[in-house]
Amino acid sequence: MSHPAHYREAHPLIFVCTHWINLISMVALAFSGFYIHYPFFANFMGVARGMHFFFMYVILINLFVRIVAAFFVKSATRLGTHEVETDIKNWLPQKLNRHQLGAWLKYYLFLKKDHPIGAKYGVLQKIAYIVTIPLTLAAAYTGFAIYAPFMDAAFFAAGTDWVGGQMNMRIIHYYIMWVFILFTAIHAYLANVEGVAPSRLIFAWKEEEGLRFDADGKVIGGSGH
Amino acid sequence: MAHEDHGAIYDLLAARGVSRRDFLKYCGSIAALLGLSESFVPQIAAAVNHGAKLKPAVWLNGGACTGCTESIAQVDTPDVATIVLDLLSIDFMETLSMAMGEDALAAAEAVFEEPGYILIYEGSVMQGFDGNALRIGGKTGLEELDHAAPNAAAIVAVGSCAVDGGFVMANPNPADATGVKPYLEGKGITTPVVNLPTCPVNPEWLVAIVVDVLLLGSLESGAILDKLDDWGRPKYIFGQTIHDNCPRRGHFENGNFVNEFGTEEEALGYCLYKVGCKGPQTYTNCPIVRWNRRTSWCVESGAPCIGCGSLDWVDVGAPFLNRHRDLPLPGVGNTQPGVVAGVVAGVAALGLGLHAVGMKASGRMDGGAPYEEMKAHDRKRMQKGGGK
Ligand code: HEM
Ligand code: HEM
Ligand code: SF4
Repeated sequence: MSHPAHYREAHPLIFVCTHWINLISMVALAFSGFYIHYPFFANFMGVARGMHFFFMYVILINLFVRIVAAFFVKSATRLGTHEVETDIKNWLPQKLNRHQLGAWLKYYLFLKKDHPIGAKYGVLQKIAYIVTIPLTLAAAYTGFAIYAPFMDAAFFAAGTDWVGGQMNMRIIHYYIMWVFILFTAIHAYLANVEGVAPSRLIFAWKEEEGLRFDADGKVIGGSGH
Repeated sequence: MAHEDHGAIYDLLAARGVSRRDFLKYCGSIAALLGLSESFVPQIAAAVNHGAKLKPAVWLNGGACTGCTESIAQVDTPDVATIVLDLLSIDFMETLSMAMGEDALAAAEAVFEEPGYILIYEGSVMQGFDGNALRIGGKTGLEELDHAAPNAAAIVAVGSCAVDGGFVMANPNPADATGVKPYLEGKGITTPVVNLPTCPVNPEWLVAIVVDVLLLGSLESGAILDKLDDWGRPKYIFGQTIHDNCPRRGHFENGNFVNEFGTEEEALGYCLYKVGCKGPQTYTNCPIVRWNRRTSWCVESGAPCIGCGSLDWVDVGAPFLNRHRDLPLPGVGNTQPGVVAGVVAGVAALGLGLHAVGMKASGRMDGGAPYEEMKAHDRKRMQKGGGK
């Protein structure tokens, strides 16, 4: 088949860390959030809220660190290469991805047989990752708007009035959790469905040999097993 | 004059079985409610005492259940609250006044002639049916409000209906009900409105407003306006949530909840969060002031807060025994947010499952399909342009 090589340059250690922190915080926030939403066993509310109020800062700080690091850390911007560029290039439009949205959609809908050429993150993948930024900020905004120490601040109170009160704000916050759950389900599925090499790299920082590509997305060597 | 009054009020209190001590204690609770220190107690006592000058007031009933009237009139044995409220010379009140028909209406008219009266408005403003949902003495309720509002020194909107339409404006709101303040704002009438939500209104809050406005002069000084939030609610009453001051809060933090009524947990007085308590998002000081002459209140007596002090309280609170409100989904009807989320998640899981079957069948599970030689877009351009 056609497994691209997975080298550490794709995910420098700091991003392995930010991804771990993100995963742990999300699990903690969703679990404690579910519990706050409906306490499904006894004697845990204080802990659940404590967890929620702790990890909400962790996830925000982590997001901040990830974004700042994008401007300072170098990473591979293509699959199967050791060459690196500033990581932010991965998040801007890339030559390899141009005109490929349709190809990706067709590929995933089984309307196209061969694997689309792409940069390190394909078109859809990149959009999905970028959308997690406003989504995290929306979780934070709606969360602070229902958090007593902040909810009276004009910045949050105005939003609460606009959506029609605290109950609606809570429901929006609750739905944002479900959007994250959907994102994570699809993300984890797509990350692993063609092989676990991507996960081994982002979680265990383990490399795996495979196809290597040139700057035009052409296979230049290696083996796809 | 003041000296005569001095005797008069204590005689009045004594006649009603209220001791001087009870009176001062009550003034202390008013001071606390108004956010004033104990040192204001003598001032309030003196004000109630000297304030015997009656302020003309008119009580209008809009679209509602008259529960607020009941709430104010529930005092079976007269107490200090009634005496304070007696300072308002309520010259017109459809439900309780002795006069009827033309006489009563003439009394109201006489008050409206002279600017500076207090207008107490109970019930929603029903704008639908050209205002004909409510008619009084041959006029629509809207005409009556338009007539009464401009000359009033202040309007006290009692109960949630008068604040924003209350239960009358709940979906589908056939009468197009709204509150006094939004209605008057739409008409460009700028008389200050003090909003006292909850369903019904708590008499203690009306007492606090009467003391603040009439006796401490906060209307003349304009101080009352600074004490209101963006919705015209006095911050000292509606500034903190029920949950902030709830006696069951310890059980909430410890995670001890009533799961069902009629259980041991209920008998133990556990927190009512899981049976739909809206205390965390309802801003009133019920736990402090309490109800029925400071005897008890909803949550203390075992019922989850239904959020009647919130804006749009029925639609954002119902079903009252659920944690979240219902969402009105077109074509489906009222649905709980969790059900919608569950259905969407189920469909997504099914979609991913089916997709995985497709990935397996097309042999892509092991590394994906072979890579394309060239982007489809580039190939097409090459075919068209014959090169490059
Ligand atoms: C990022 C910043 C976040 C902040 C500031 C925040 C804050 C809050 C606050 C204050 C509450 C109410 C707790 C209470 O009333 O005791 C809450 C509830 C909740 N949070 Fe968050 N949160 C954040 C992120 C998240 C995330 C990422 C998720 C899910 C993945 C989540 C899921 C939930 C859920 C499900 C509830 C329960 C809502 C309800 O039904 O009342 N939160 N959050
Ligand atoms: C079930 C757990 C998860 C698995 C198996 C997983 C797997 C992966 C993999 C394999 C990659 C690298 C993609 C590639 O190089 O092709 C990745 C990246 C990423 N994942 Fe996850 N992930 C998980 C949970 C999450 C969660 C909960 C979030 C956030 C809500 C998330 C957000 C991201 C982001 C933003 C990236 C880009 C990484 C970067 O460049 O910093 N992941 N994930
Ligand atoms: S009973 Fe209601 S207001 Fe009281 S602690 Fe529980 S949730 Fe909060």
